[in-house]
Amino acid sequence: MLTKSQYQELLNLGLSTGADFAEFFFEDTNSYVTRVFNGEVTSIDMSNTYGVGVRLIQGVDVVYGYTNDTSFESIQSVIQGLIPSFSGPAATAKPIGEALPYSNTIKKPPRSVSSKEKADKLVALSNQIKAYDERIIQAVTQLLQTEQQILVVNSEGVYQDDVRVYSRVILMAVAQENGVMQQAFEGPGRFMGFEIFDEIEMEPLADEAAKSAIKLLSAVDMTPQVMPVVIHNGFGGVIFHEACGHPLEATAVAKGLSPFTGKLGEKIGSDVVTAYDDGDVESAWGRLSFDDEGMKTQKNLLIENGILKGYLIDQRNARKMKMAPTGSGRRQNYKFAPTSRMNSTYIAPGKDKVEDIIADTKYGLFAKKMGGGQVNTSTGEFNFAVQEGYMIEDGKLTTPVRGAMLIGQGKDVLFKIDRVADNLEFGQGMCGSISGSIPTDVGQPTIRVQAMTVGGAGGKQ
Amino acid sequence: MKAWIDKALAKGITDVQFFAVRTKNVKLTVYQHQIDEHVQSDVEVVTMRGIYNGKMASVRFEHNTNTVIDIFIDQLIDHASAITSNDPAIIFEGSKEYPKIKDSNFDFGSVPTDKKIQLLKDIEVQMEQHPKLKQVQSVVYQESDVETSLMNSKGIDLSQRSTYAYAYAVGVFHENDDIQSAMEITLAKTFDEMDAKKIAEETVSKGVKKLGASSMASKRYPVVFENKTFGSILGAFGSNFSAESAYRNLTPLKDKVGQSIANDFVQLVDDPLDEKAFQQMAFDHEGVACRTKDIIKDGVFQGFLHNLKTASIFKQEPTGNSFGGGISSTNLVMKPGTKSFEEMIAPIQDGVFINNLMGLHAGVKASSGDFSIQASGFRIENGQLSKPVKMIVVSGNFFTMMNEIADLDNELEYNLSSIAAPNVYIQQLGIAGE
Repeated sequence: MLTKSQYQELLNLGLSTGADFAEFFFEDTNSYVTRVFNGEVTSIDMSNTYGVGVRLIQGVDVVYGYTNDTSFESIQSVIQGLIPSFSGPAATAKPIGEALPYSNTIKKPPRSVSSKEKADKLVALSNQIKAYDERIIQAVTQLLQTEQQILVVNSEGVYQDDVRVYSRVILMAVAQENGVMQQAFEGPGRFMGFEIFDEIEMEPLADEAAKSAIKLLSAVDMTPQVMPVVIHNGFGGVIFHEACGHPLEATAVAKGLSPFTGKLGEKIGSDVVTAYDDGDVESAWGRLSFDDEGMKTQKNLLIENGILKGYLIDQRNARKMKMAPTGSGRRQNYKFAPTSRMNSTYIAPGKDKVEDIIADTKYGLFAKKMGGGQVNTSTGEFNFAVQEGYMIEDGKLTTPVRGAMLIGQGKDVLFKIDRVADNLEFGQGMCGSISGSIPTDVGQPTIRVQAMTVGGAGGKQ
Repeated sequence: MKAWIDKALAKGITDVQFFAVRTKNVKLTVYQHQIDEHVQSDVEVVTMRGIYNGKMASVRFEHNTNTVIDIFIDQLIDHASAITSNDPAIIFEGSKEYPKIKDSNFDFGSVPTDKKIQLLKDIEVQMEQHPKLKQVQSVVYQESDVETSLMNSKGIDLSQRSTYAYAYAVGVFHENDDIQSAMEITLAKTFDEMDAKKIAEETVSKGVKKLGASSMASKRYPVVFENKTFGSILGAFGSNFSAESAYRNLTPLKDKVGQSIANDFVQLVDDPLDEKAFQQMAFDHEGVACRTKDIIKDGVFQGFLHNLKTASIFKQEPTGNSFGGGISSTNLVMKPGTKSFEEMIAPIQDGVFINNLMGLHAGVKASSGDFSIQASGFRIENGQLSKPVKMIVVSGNFFTMMNEIADLDNELEYNLSSIAAPNVYIQQLGIAGE
């Protein structure tokens, strides 16, 4: 840890050749993974990420350097390697301020609980999954925990530390019958320590994973077609994350490549669609007190009744777009320059009941549980997988189907949402983009999309 | 690291290994004729694996000052103490000999930065000449200098250094209302291998060909996968060839050694020494010598890839495939056939050529073999490539598909994940479109 006068001296060195902004991002992160296979604790591994990232900006041009040696001399040498990129008059950094308090709600930090106690919880859950049905051949449970300590110091006087503690429990069941192998998983995650086991009832989720894997054994392969799709709440929100969330990030918008560039105040979706990205949902997997640029996180309205209201903007793109930053600067670790990213992104609840939406659908697909997806923000094309689905026939759920993949166009799909239920829930995932892989929540109530292309291996052979 | 070994042993760890990777990178990005980003880095990551009371645990760390090493050793002991499985825990005494591989130690740092920036600006300017280019989304150059070293308490002391660079361009193209993006990447071992004209031309050609694409009717079609694209599919299902998957009941290949799992002309080899591959490897992350081995020979499954643990469990020799804490292939090669691409597709009346997959991570279930992936490419009509296709989903099952390979052409190509394949013709797969 350096002194404030040392930071000041290094910031001034960064500003000595024309840069108008200098920033250091210090990080010391410890991650722990405990794995259990069929009731046996097979591995407990730890990973430490430690270093400093140095960012200098002149106008909108950026140079970035990083190293795992955080000594004064090492940082000085990184800066000396970067400053020849700029030319111009030297500037002086503002006096370094005081850190604001970050919210500290963690009850049981990762290191306060013994490895044995963590392992015991996972063993019990693994045994429960295995005992659910004799066709379950593998029951995998994992606890992933991360404690990230950061400090942002910049030439605008910001001096902000933050501690982020994440815990996620993976419950996976693999079932086999007549040579067919299927798997299903649940993966609840929170901005919490080991108290995640007190806050979330894991046993019903373990049963759910097992039940889902067994169900998939007798599911039929989805037949490719275009059809109405009812997307269930929670992780179903991955559709909004891929189709609209990424294209609303300043990384896509500032270059003019997003279909939503220049569309503020315009109608981009049907009236039933209102959506937010919130950086400070209590105990949420995607939350932070301060973003990775030292700015307090906030709740950002993106779409209101179908009208585009806002983007997600980091500080550098704020300069490019001449708009205020939204507390959305994030990065996986010090090896990445920050950019605009999502936190907890969701479609706001409507008034419909999920039962009514299904009852009013003559023929379609009910996508009960979603897998991951991807979007190309230049073309707006996106896809995401359905982990567990059911056919809807005459308003009733009928045959279970597997292997369905949904594809669409971001700018079209928002107009095709015609029903929104009242049952908002979040789901947890890891989101990958240019500043690395970060924890994010996706969320939505159950929605109906009038028509989507659905892929699958079924149909006449 | 020698001092760390002594420290670990003094704390009661019976055997220990340190594996260190020091990576120095330089990355340059140009956007609209300006340097958009310039990144320099120097990071050393150390992975310590140690055995305590017969159990193995690992700690990977970047904070590597002598003040914290004690904390990490204590953590390792705590973690190992909570492990209940009786898996073999082995620190390796070393292979009898290691293959000699050619060093690639070109000093990219000796090339002036201006010259690298000029390369990127040249790529951008050349791409901009094309009337259908909407924007050059980014042009990126990155060079890496990677030094790995491995030392353990059984006397292993190995090291390897390699330098390489890559450059790529992402272009966005338009025609009427249609927008398509394309990317091409060049890997190089010396700076002179970077060719601005080639990168620009290939990116533009790839992007422009995609314009005007439409979907197609949903049904089953003969499908030809482009070589690099088939490589990605092999990669997505690669865990099925790992002995760890077999041990954990996560692959249907578990009891299939010696049985036919593909058409009899299919050959799949793991070849760490292949000179056509971008990288050759002398040893794996446990210090085991890398060697070439068949995975599928004449359609018959020859055996799994092993690390020290699984080799001991299955009473096999380790295969030198322990990487990053798991088991993976080195250079995975599906051997090519003899026909040209044109000859191979000549019999296809109504099919599709797929050269791009999107969302592979989401659309693949490695252990069941099921896949359902967004794709784009070209129609094949009357034995020839015709109009571009987009917004389709290709679906099938990997294990079924390996028995339904109709033909392989002679155009072997490596993808970026060190997997090589020819263009592969599959009898039929499900296509979802309109």
